[in-house]
Amino acid sequence: MRKVVFLLFFVSLAIQAQTKMSVTEAEALKTLVKQQALTTKTIYSDFTQYKHLDFLSNDIVSKGKLAFKTPNLVKWEYTEPYNYAVIFKNETLFINDEGKKNQIDMGSNKMFKELNTLIINSIKGDMFDDTAFDISYYKKDKHHEVHFIPKDKKSSKYIQAFQLIFNTKGDVIEVKMIEPSGDFTKIVFTNRELNKPLADAVFTN
Amino acid sequence: MRFLLISICFLFISCGSYPKKQHLELSDTPLKSIENPYFSDASIDYVYKASIDVYKRNFSGLLIIKKIAEEQHRVAFTTEMGNKLFDFTFTEDNFQVNFILEELDKNLLIQVLEKDFRVLVTQNLIISNSYTNIQYPVYQTQINNKNHYYFFEDNELTKVVRSKYGKEKVRFLFSEIKHRIAHQIKIKHQNIPLEINLKSIIQ
Repeated sequence: MRKVVFLLFFVSLAIQAQTKMSVTEAEALKTLVKQQALTTKTIYSDFTQYKHLDFLSNDIVSKGKLAFKTPNLVKWEYTEPYNYAVIFKNETLFINDEGKKNQIDMGSNKMFKELNTLIINSIKGDMFDDTAFDISYYKKDKHHEVHFIPKDKKSSKYIQAFQLIFNTKGDVIEVKMIEPSGDFTKIVFTNRELNKPLADAVFTN
Repeated sequence: MRFLLISICFLFISCGSYPKKQHLELSDTPLKSIENPYFSDASIDYVYKASIDVYKRNFSGLLIIKKIAEEQHRVAFTTEMGNKLFDFTFTEDNFQVNFILEELDKNLLIQVLEKDFRVLVTQNLIISNSYTNIQYPVYQTQINNKNHYYFFEDNELTKVVRSKYGKEKVRFLFSEIKHRIAHQIKIKHQNIPLEINLKSIIQ
């Protein structure tokens, strides 16, 4: 009996921290995010990445800058604890690993291609595709949290779910990619600048 | 006839043991076992930036090693962006693949990785022979029934050589050693074009 009371207590706590949105609220969020995505031409932001592996004592933390320019230029530049940059451009992945340059043709790699599309859509927050994902909407404190569970079996082998957190303006402030094992990668965006002019040269290594 | 003799001589030389070829002197030691300290602290998350050169291609990522119990380690590899490529568990007499990306799921590759990483994580080794190399000790041990030679300099493990038929097959080099952590590790294969360079980013 005591166990049940405890359980109820925790369940009610969890419900308080995160409540499901009503259909109208979810529709309003979708409209807001899509609107925001339409007016977003560039994004320039700091990010902190937390790689969580259950067997480790601490998450592996790395930091850097993200640059995005419509329609599909993305650069992730890690500056701590190492220098590493990866640019997603058309069908190619350009890598600069502490000066060592490398290219990967994504055309031959379906996984990278899917990853790229997901990254672009998740930065813009525009990935409300019901045919590809089971989507659920939550309210958490002042923020909105949306969970995307891939329907495609091949994707779900690698990714159990994407969780995106939006601020009140409809910007993505956190992306979490959860693996089937429960390990995850969490990326938190700070100092985000929207529509700052970014030269194409930013997207060369 | 002379040619035959020369060939026979060469045959003898090339069949010599690894210590003989390296001019290592057999010596006595009171030690029964030696220790590889580099992945032995269960409270440390050992994280390395890894660069792998194989058949003229270069891959990079993070190699993550954690001692999870006595004689038990997890060894995982992720890309810099966090995508997991593989995740293995090593116990004293067992090896388990917890996860591997479909594209990398090749028996030969897994075997090479298992053998190499087992050398990194094996902490206690029983000495079968001991030698000296100029002034430093060299200990012969067996891992997976293969001869491995452990080279120490100033009481620090600096090199491990796996040999077969007296020839060096794989060389492990440990450098920038501080507080029982090797901040630079190089694994170089002699019979296949494979080289793994590890640089610690332990936080």
